[in-house]
Amino acid sequence: MKTKNNNSLLLEAIEKNYDSVKALKGVSLKIHPGEFCTLLGASGSGKSTILRVIAGFETLDSGRLEINDEDMSKMSIAERNIGMVFQNYALFPHMDVFQNIAFGLEMRKLDKSQIKEKVNEVLELVGLTNQKKRLPSALSGGQQQRVALARAIVIEPKILLMDEPLGALDKNLRNEMQKQIKNLHKNLNITVVYVTHDQDEAMFLSDKIVLMDEGKIIQTGTCEELYTNPKNRFVANFLGECNFFTLDSGKKISIRPECLRISGDNKNDRNSFQVDVEDVVFQGRMIKLIGNYNEQEIIASISPLEYELESNHKDKIFLTYDSESLMNI
Amino acid sequence: MPMVSFYLLVFVWPVISFLLLSFGSDISSPSLEHYEKIFQTSIYSRILYNTFSIAACVTIISVIFSYPIVYLLINVSERMRRLLFIVVLLPFWTSALVRTTAWIVILQRNGILNDLLMSSGITAEPISFVYNFSGVLIGMTHVMMPFIVFPLYASYKDLDYSLIEAAESLGSKSLQITKRIILPLTMPGVIAGSIIVFMSSIGYYITPALMGGPGQTMIAMLIENNINQTLNWEMAASLSVILLLVTLMLFIIFQKYFGFDKLLTSNIQKGSRKNFTQSKSSVEKSIMYIIGILVCIFLIAPIIIVFPMSLGASPFLEFPPSEYSFRWFESFFNDKRWIRALWNSLIAATVTMTVSLPIGTLAAIGVSKMRANLRLFFETFFITPMVIPVIIFAVGLFYFLAPLGLNSSPIILGLAHSILALPFVFLTVRASLKGFDNNLELAAFSLGSNWPNMFKKIMLPIITPGLLAGAIFAFIQSFDDVVLALFLTNIKSRTLPRVMFEGISHEIDPTIVAISVLLITLTISLFLINNLFLSGNHNENEK
Repeated sequence: MKTKNNNSLLLEAIEKNYDSVKALKGVSLKIHPGEFCTLLGASGSGKSTILRVIAGFETLDSGRLEINDEDMSKMSIAERNIGMVFQNYALFPHMDVFQNIAFGLEMRKLDKSQIKEKVNEVLELVGLTNQKKRLPSALSGGQQQRVALARAIVIEPKILLMDEPLGALDKNLRNEMQKQIKNLHKNLNITVVYVTHDQDEAMFLSDKIVLMDEGKIIQTGTCEELYTNPKNRFVANFLGECNFFTLDSGKKISIRPECLRISGDNKNDRNSFQVDVEDVVFQGRMIKLIGNYNEQEIIASISPLEYELESNHKDKIFLTYDSESLMNI
Repeated sequence: MPMVSFYLLVFVWPVISFLLLSFGSDISSPSLEHYEKIFQTSIYSRILYNTFSIAACVTIISVIFSYPIVYLLINVSERMRRLLFIVVLLPFWTSALVRTTAWIVILQRNGILNDLLMSSGITAEPISFVYNFSGVLIGMTHVMMPFIVFPLYASYKDLDYSLIEAAESLGSKSLQITKRIILPLTMPGVIAGSIIVFMSSIGYYITPALMGGPGQTMIAMLIENNINQTLNWEMAASLSVILLLVTLMLFIIFQKYFGFDKLLTSNIQKGSRKNFTQSKSSVEKSIMYIIGILVCIFLIAPIIIVFPMSLGASPFLEFPPSEYSFRWFESFFNDKRWIRALWNSLIAATVTMTVSLPIGTLAAIGVSKMRANLRLFFETFFITPMVIPVIIFAVGLFYFLAPLGLNSSPIILGLAHSILALPFVFLTVRASLKGFDNNLELAAFSLGSNWPNMFKKIMLPIITPGLLAGAIFAFIQSFDDVVLALFLTNIKSRTLPRVMFEGISHEIDPTIVAISVLLITLTISLFLINNLFLSGNHNENEK
């Protein structure tokens, strides 16, 4: 099933207040057709509110909301034709899988044979053909999640919204579902707005990440842009770990742990500095070194092999970095 | 909001306009002469004293005997607990009139208990249990006890067992554990129940009227007497104001600390926790058990005993009957008077259900969408009819309708019953809406549904158990009511409970016992329908 619904979404200067609390303080965002855009932020950052505004569950206090240059802000929820996957799935508990998925099509007054065809098609797509007569309560979390997804995409929505859809699943299942969602997005070529607080999930899925804090967008960009070129320390910290310290020379350093290397005793390296090793944590692929440099904590991520080869004194180690990998924040 | 306007028209306005009478018939020059009279005339103050002392006794007795039964409930097996719950719940659901009938049958001079006592030689003369203080106490305690058992059970169940273990490991003996741990921790539940019992007791009419003697006249009876006998409306209004003030005060205290809706909605049968066995010495334990079992017998006996009695063949009530027959059931179905009463009751109950279900449901949905502070106000407002003594409402409505000539149709009675039923419908639907995930509504909208479609296909099926329970409540409220029927029906439009009430006040003939059996059977079947439906729903979800 291929949708033609390949739409752009525009938010401009959107504000939303709940009583005295400012939930959104002027959010502007453009999402291109077919883009997978993730709103990333801590709870209370306003990311879910944006989703609810797009869906029409919340009215906006000011600003513009457009799909394909058409104003949406006055449209009812039902008219918007937007698919939503809820965090708790919100499956209708008294309807079986088939009925749940068929609901949106029934509302669109399709005839029975068409409904059946479309539902079966989408059931195949999410791999639930055998479960269609079961009630939601009889399904596993992952299955429920897929029903919710199927229900949202079967109506061929203009935009697909997903509100922390994997939040309730355990880690393995979550990774599995992330792959499925990514594939689905590739196959359907649909515009997706996805909300999560999990940076790994955001990086895995997204074409574009929008990092939010306190009702404002902090930075927008591809995963790589945000990771390697964060606008400020908040962004740098949110996407992975980051060291901020000052060398004896007075030079201020901002660097990712994986950009630090062991320099052996190479005194010629002018970027090298010595740290006291406080802890060594084996993490499988990498070893995490936690060191102390002039009472400043330094974290370095180093391959086990390098650690074995290079470190003669395991309690004091010289670290070094390439000047290009410094972040300018 | 239709519920608000319905309340204002049928409930608030009549009651208030009646109550204003207490300040004299001339509104422009209010006087307090009736209040002075109440506190100066010895007969009035004695009745006030009666009312409060009876209510206090009932409360205390209910509390004392609730502990053993709750102890029993906590300690028995899951199966047994279900059975015991039925024992407690069944009388709770049975019409007060039926229970009173049964008690009179058991306790009267030539009743079952006296027969038993005399034939076993314990007493030579019949003891008068009924038409005096003990009669009122027995009857009212039986009605009120469940209101303490439920909250007490709930708070007992919430007790953390490790607290007991901790106390034991710190060296407490069982008596000390009871005193220092269990009593303080279950106190909120007991107080909650006690307030309700006391509040309901002071305005109670049926039981004291039927099972008490002249010495046990309570305020509700005095109000009725002032209206129907001495025609002193203003005095009746003054008494009502006093009764109402005390009731409202208690209600406010209760609402502030506990919240009324929890009483109905707290799911008493949820989950089975580890059995809460406190290591009492076996003697204490068996004493508690024995008392608990006796209380259970006390609760269920009147319900059971009417069954064989209704099948007796003789015109006198005997136990056990010497011969069995269905003649009293036949006499019920062949007597035009009874059939007409039954018909009137059914009309009233139907009106009650048709009016209260949609209004109550809409109100519950409306309230669930309100902001918290507004919601509390409306919730409180909607449940006031549960609290305000029916006698005040009945008299107020009578005062309002009589001049219009509207006081004698079962349809009007049904409308009045709707006021009694609405709080129950409101609360049950509200409870089931609390389990309704708001996202379901949003999901339906985002899938293209409009509100009516969403309501029909999503919300309604999900809240159906609540609606069904509400409907049953509404039916029972209407079908059991005596007080409103006393004022709002005449000889033609009398309902079944009213005819029964009049019968019981004279002499209980076996037909009334037969009717009681029919009513109990009805209650049990409604009860079963509700439970079956609910459990059916559960199984489906667990599949």
